[in-house]
This record gives sequence, C-alpha cells and structure tokens, in this order.
Amino acid sequence: MLEKMAGEAISGAFNQETVVGSNPPVVKKKRNLPGNPDPEAEVIALSPKTLMATNRFLCEICGKGFQRDQNLQLHRRGHNLPWKLRQRTSKEPKKRVYVCPEKTCVHHHPSRALGDLTGIKKHFCRKHGEKKWKCEKCSKRYAVQSDWKAHSKTCGTREYRCDCGTLFSRRDSFITHRAFCEALAEETARVTAAYKMNNANAGNISYPFMGTSLRSNMVQHFSSVFKPIPSSNGAMDQTRPGLSLWMDQESQTNQAMSNNLTELHQMGSSSIGTVYADPFSNPPHTDYQVNWAFGNKLSSTNAGELTSTTPPLTNLKEVGSPRLASAPSLYSTQHYHHQLPPAIMSATALLQKAAEIGATSTNPSFLESYGLKCNNNQIQDGNKYNDLFSPSLIPTNLGSDLDNSVRDLTTLNHLQMYPRKRPKTLNDDAEEGQTRDFLGVGVQTICPSSINGWI
Amino acid sequence: MDTVIYNPKPSYFMYSNVNQQGNDQAVDMRNNNQPPASQASTSHSSESAGDPCGPGKWAARLLRDCAKALSEKDSSRIHHLLWMLNELASAYGDCEQKLASHFSQALFCKATEMGELCFNTLSSVAERSRSFESARKMILKFQEVSPWTTFGHVASNGAILEALDGESKLHIIDISNTFCTQWPTLLEALATRNDETPRLKLTVVTTVSMERSVMKEIRQRMEKFARLMGVPFEFHVVSELYRLAELTKEELGVQDDEAVAVNCIGALRRINVKDRDAVVHMLHTLGPKVVTVVEEEADFTSSMDDFVKCFDECLRFYALFFEMLEESFLPTSNERLMLERECSRSILSVLACDEGDGGSCSTEESERRERGRQWCDRLKEAFSPVGFSDDVVDDVRALLKRYRAGWSLVLPQGDDDSGLYLTWKEEPVVWASAWKP
Repeated sequence: MLEKMAGEAISGAFNQETVVGSNPPVVKKKRNLPGNPDPEAEVIALSPKTLMATNRFLCEICGKGFQRDQNLQLHRRGHNLPWKLRQRTSKEPKKRVYVCPEKTCVHHHPSRALGDLTGIKKHFCRKHGEKKWKCEKCSKRYAVQSDWKAHSKTCGTREYRCDCGTLFSRRDSFITHRAFCEALAEETARVTAAYKMNNANAGNISYPFMGTSLRSNMVQHFSSVFKPIPSSNGAMDQTRPGLSLWMDQESQTNQAMSNNLTELHQMGSSSIGTVYADPFSNPPHTDYQVNWAFGNKLSSTNAGELTSTTPPLTNLKEVGSPRLASAPSLYSTQHYHHQLPPAIMSATALLQKAAEIGATSTNPSFLESYGLKCNNNQIQDGNKYNDLFSPSLIPTNLGSDLDNSVRDLTTLNHLQMYPRKRPKTLNDDAEEGQTRDFLGVGVQTICPSSINGWI
Repeated sequence: MDTVIYNPKPSYFMYSNVNQQGNDQAVDMRNNNQPPASQASTSHSSESAGDPCGPGKWAARLLRDCAKALSEKDSSRIHHLLWMLNELASAYGDCEQKLASHFSQALFCKATEMGELCFNTLSSVAERSRSFESARKMILKFQEVSPWTTFGHVASNGAILEALDGESKLHIIDISNTFCTQWPTLLEALATRNDETPRLKLTVVTTVSMERSVMKEIRQRMEKFARLMGVPFEFHVVSELYRLAELTKEELGVQDDEAVAVNCIGALRRINVKDRDAVVHMLHTLGPKVVTVVEEEADFTSSMDDFVKCFDECLRFYALFFEMLEESFLPTSNERLMLERECSRSILSVLACDEGDGGSCSTEESERRERGRQWCDRLKEAFSPVGFSDDVVDDVRALLKRYRAGWSLVLPQGDDDSGLYLTWKEEPVVWASAWKP
C-alpha cells in the first residue's frame, strides 16, 4: 500500500466540522476510500444511532422513510409532482464524506473519512459492532449481514492448496497440514540459495515438478537433460525457480538414470516441454524460492513465488520444432541435441522406457500449480500468511488454456497412457524414486485427485 | 495365579487335546448353541441371558468367556478358548477378528504372566519403526477422517483463547498425545486477532522416547510455522512425563509475568493412578488461567482389581474404537493399522501388566482411563469447572458437521458433570473440559 501525505489539501477543506488534525498520512487504496476524500467534500459526523437508523431519507410528501436516497427519489416519482418540485429541493452540490463516530477509530478523523454512507455504516458495524451473524458451517461471525451472506455462499466450496499440491476442502485441516508440511519448503529454500550458477550448463536442469510427492532423489532422475531456453516472455524473468534446487540435486545425480531420462526427455521435449510453461527462462537465480514440493523441498514462505511465471501456454502451439524459441520450454532442445545421443525412438517406445524407469504421477497439480501460481505475479514475503491461506481457487481459464494446448499436441495422448502410480504418501522413501512420473503428465484430469488430503 | 499354563511356543495350543472338543465348541459357539461341556454351559447360559452382543459379535463372546475363565483360573477352558480365538483372529481382518486378535494376545499374556515382556517387545519394535513421518501421517490422517482428536483440540483452543484473551505473554504447557497438531490452528487464531499478536511460549511435556524420535521435527515445524504466522514463539521440551507430579514451576520454565494455560489431551490417563491427585495439585501450583482436559470415556481404573469387569469395559471401549476406525478410514489404510497397533499395546498394558512397583509398563505407556465424571471429581479438588462458551460450542458443532455422520455433541447433564462429550453413534467417547483455579 502506498502512503501519501495528504498535506495541505485536506487541512484546508475540513474546516466545517470537527477537528482537523495535523497532516496524517493517508492510505491510498481505491478511488473513494479514506485515503483521498475529496478536499472539497463536506464532512458529516453522524452519531451511531443516526448512522444505524434505517430510514434516513424521508419523503416530504408522505413521510415514508427509505434507506437510500435513490430509493427515495424513485418513490417520489410516484407522487406525480409538478415539474418544478421534481427537482430536489436541497440538492447537495457538494460531495459528502462521513466519519466514523467511534473515537478510537482511524476513520474518525476527517482526513480519513469514507465517502459512502453505506460504506461507513458497514465499516462501523464491522469494526465496532456486535457480530450477530454467524456462518453455520464454519461458525465464523459477521456484523454485517451482507458479509455473512456472501461468506455463506462460498463457505465450504473453497479449496485450499498446500504447496505440496495436496488439496483440502477444510481450512482447519489445511492449516494443520501446512504447519507440518513446512519443513519441506524450508529445505528447498536453503538448497536453492546454495546453488551456484555454474551448474547451468550441459543439461543440468532437471525437470521441474509440481508433484506432491517428489523427493529430492526423484529430481536426480531427471537431472541432466533439460536446460531452459531463454524465454522471450518477460514475465518469466520474475521467477527464477530454483533450478538451483534441481541443479543442486544434480550433483547427486545418478548418471545411469539420467541416460534413460534423456531419451525420454527427447520425446518429452517435443511434446511435454511444450505443454508446460517454463518458469526457468533463464539460468536460475539463487534467490528464487522454489515453491513446489520436491518431496521434501518446499518453500514455505514464498508460497506465491513460483506462481509468478505466467504460463505461456499460448505459446505452446509452436512446438514441433526442436528450437522452441518462442515457447518457453523446459527442455533445451538445442542442448540435448548437443549432449544426448540422438536416439530416435518412437513415442510409444519412449513411454515404455519411461515405464521401466517408472513413474509416480506428479500431480496434475503440476499443471494447476502453474496456472494457479500465475495468478500471483508477485513475490510474496514470508509473513503474508493471508495469501498463504487464501484458498487457491483453481482458475478455470487456465484449465481451458491447458486443455487447448494439450489437445493440440497429439503426442500428449500417448502420455495419457503413461502409467501413473500415485504415491500414497506425501513423502515416499528413496526407494520409490524409481517410479516417478517425472513428466508430471496428469493431463487426464486437471484437478488433483485427492480432495481430502493425502494423494 | 496358576503357574504357567502353557508352554509359550506356538505349539502350545495342544491341538490333539482339544481338537475334538474344540471343534465341537467352535461350531457350537458360532451357531450360538449350548455347548455340551458342563462348565461352559453355566457361563453360556448367563451370557445369553444378558448378552449385549449381537449375533455377529462372536469375538466379544469368546473374549468375555475367556476372561471369565481366566479369573476363575479354569485352565482347560482358558486353553481351549484361546485356541479358538487364535484360529479365528486376525489383526488384518474385520473388526471382530481384530478385536479377537488384540484381546486374545492380552489374555494370553495375562495367563502366562508375560505381559510386561510382551509389552516391552512391542514397544521397542514400535519405537524403532516410529519416525516423525509415520507419526505425522498417522495423526493427520486420523484427524482428517475422524473428529476424535480434533474435537478436543477445537474445544481446548477455544477455551484457551478465551481465557487468555488480552494477555500479551502466553505460556502453554502441553501434555498431550497428539504431536502438537493442535497448535497450528491456535497460532493462526492468535495471528488473526484484531489486536496485538501475543507472544507464545509452548512447553511440551513428553516422554523420553518421544523426545528422541519426533520432538526435534515437531520443534522445527512449529517454529517455522509460527514464523510464518508472525507469532513470536518459543518451543521447549521437558521429557519428564513420568515424574509429572514432581515437576516444579522452574523446571517447566513458568515465569511470573506469563499467562499460563495447561493443556492435557489424553495425558492424565498416562499418569499412574496413585499419582493422579498429586499431578492435579502440581498443576494448580503453576497458577494457570485455564486447564483444559480431554480424555476418553472409558473406565479402566475403578475396576482395577476386578479383572472381568475391567476386561468388559476395555472390550466395550475398544470395540467402539475399532468400529469407528473401520468406518472412518479406507479399508486399506496404513494409518489405521498403526493406530490399531497402538491400541493393541495399550490393551496389553491395561489387561496384562501390573501397575505398581516393578511393573515396567506402568511408567510411560499404561493408559488406565477414567471417565469424565471421575476426572471431574479429581479436578474439583483443586479447580473449578469453566463452561465452554456458546461460541466454542458452535465451533465444535461446525467441526463435527465437516465429518461423516454419526458424530455429535452432548452437553453434560447434572451438576457433578461438566465439559462436553463427543458421541459416536450415541455413545459418549471423548470428554473435553476446561478448569480454572
């Protein structure tokens, strides 16, 4: 939030009513909010009783009371007034702003007055009023009926996603899970920070997963093949996903595995790589906090960071050529051309090969994660727990984008046949590393399978 | 007790001896007919008169019979019943089979006086295979499918938040068996309060074995999470549960300017029966603003000397618990198996181990439960009950709504009762209460 000093403009205007303080800092939020009440506006200070009175607008003809001025005007029309009297007798040329009657409140001060009568009423209720309305499902309390209604509509329909990809329908279980899932994130952060850039060559980039149960050793499997192509998409620059993480894993890579993987990646590059946005447009920065779960590696405090990659899904259609120039790709096709044995395998053969390597599905949450994350194009600080706990609504538009791109790529159909063994538990042991769906191709379903917690 | 009845080897079920009779018995038992054996008939007739079990509940019948035979020291009958149970039981079968398996193990150990040995073996096996990950999975999954523990959490957190409202330095002394899964929601609540976020110090009193295995991880997670929430947080572990009655304010790190809350979830039952009053007194000396106690509704204490009565109660409670587990979890759930194994150990310690001097399983793991009413009597010595506010009750109701049907909330009736009861199929199973000095 930006803060501006209102300064002279305000002190000049509020000489009609109440106190005029020294220039308090004002907060600029929305157009008519307290930050910038119109300096010329008339400041009204109503008593709580008047404020909460429901019928403040009275018809002079019949005395009927209305909550809003507009309603009163509508009513007056019905009285068939002669034209002259139709005009409002005391039309207010000036804009009115209202101060909160509660003395201890920030909005009590004229410089922080609110411009809307309904707004001040709601504010007064919310902050200083008794919370009379209670949600049945989660027993959350509200002072303003409209707030309560709005909440009731969405209560229980929201879904919360942990960084590890698990989806929750209940907030409390989400919170508890997240607390115990935390360490994953921390480790990831540490690893990423420690990563050195010099690993950025020769296919050291591993395929980024969004799987829930990926463990570091899984990463090892996919280590050597991919290098992100510098993306033309500027938005990518914001996020340097912890390729460092991957690269760090690199050092422990089992070379034997990587060979298998490279072949698989070859297939992948032509199809899979096109599906997924490449957050790794550039060699990774050390300060990027990888947000997803690589098994035990999760970024706790940077829930939103990974998300800042806008998925260039729309670019994916340009796949096909090895040089995925405009499509940010996870794979450096150039790269692997240099490095890898140009094994030419059919897609099905590659699939079979991959089946040997095994796979556990990285969740379709991978896809979603991209999508979801894209919504938060900002790096969040650690303590913005609100964001962390705000339910991640799966954006439907992303889903459709994904669908489109997926459909475009017929090879993806093969991937759907790809054996997927979902890890039953969040953190499988190393032995399971053999069977991972590194492709993370859960293209059959956009939504992760597990609603109630564990995948 | 008789000298060892069997040779404790698998072949102890002397097949040849009891074969014929046993077969007949087995068939008869299953078909619910009167068996020919005269000894058996008496117990059977009395049993069928007031038999609380339905026709499908063969395990309860057999087990009760066996317990009775044990108390009567009727070795041949014990023998043959255990043999039958052994045939029918399975730790991986249906509810009846599981009950048969775990309870017959306890009966066997009781008969052979191998209780402590067996218990120690089971405990060390469990400890070796226990890890933070497995414990975490187990408890979180359990909380996911059943409000058994979360009921107590929500009620206690509500009471704690209300009692400590407005304080800026909080100190919670946690003596619970739920691996600190209660605290994330409390931390979140503290963080979202409108006013200043208070500091929280959490002192966990636990056993040495727990500390070794899981507390380090828990500490990490809690600290991290608190950082995330923006709550100033300290985490301490005191691994001296076994001498809880003797702990002092200093040992627990209670300072004078702190507002103290004591949280005991499934904790008091782990104290030796004879020390419980002392513990209550000790808690009082800490000067807490609120003490929350959550226990399970079962009474293994008042019948300590009457084996059959104790056995009956034990069977009743665990039958309910196993049934609840079966209906809450997926059929092939590892977490459920882990929970059942823990129950098995607990059953063993209650039935087959002697509490008292020399009983090694009486130190940490004996779980002689008492009913809410009994705890009330104990706690009233030093505390007076605090009712849960309407808001908290509403919170609990909302919580229960999020689970499958079958759970509900019951407020206490009568004057000598306080707290909330969680009921499963109309049976009260968990009791939650709050107390102030």
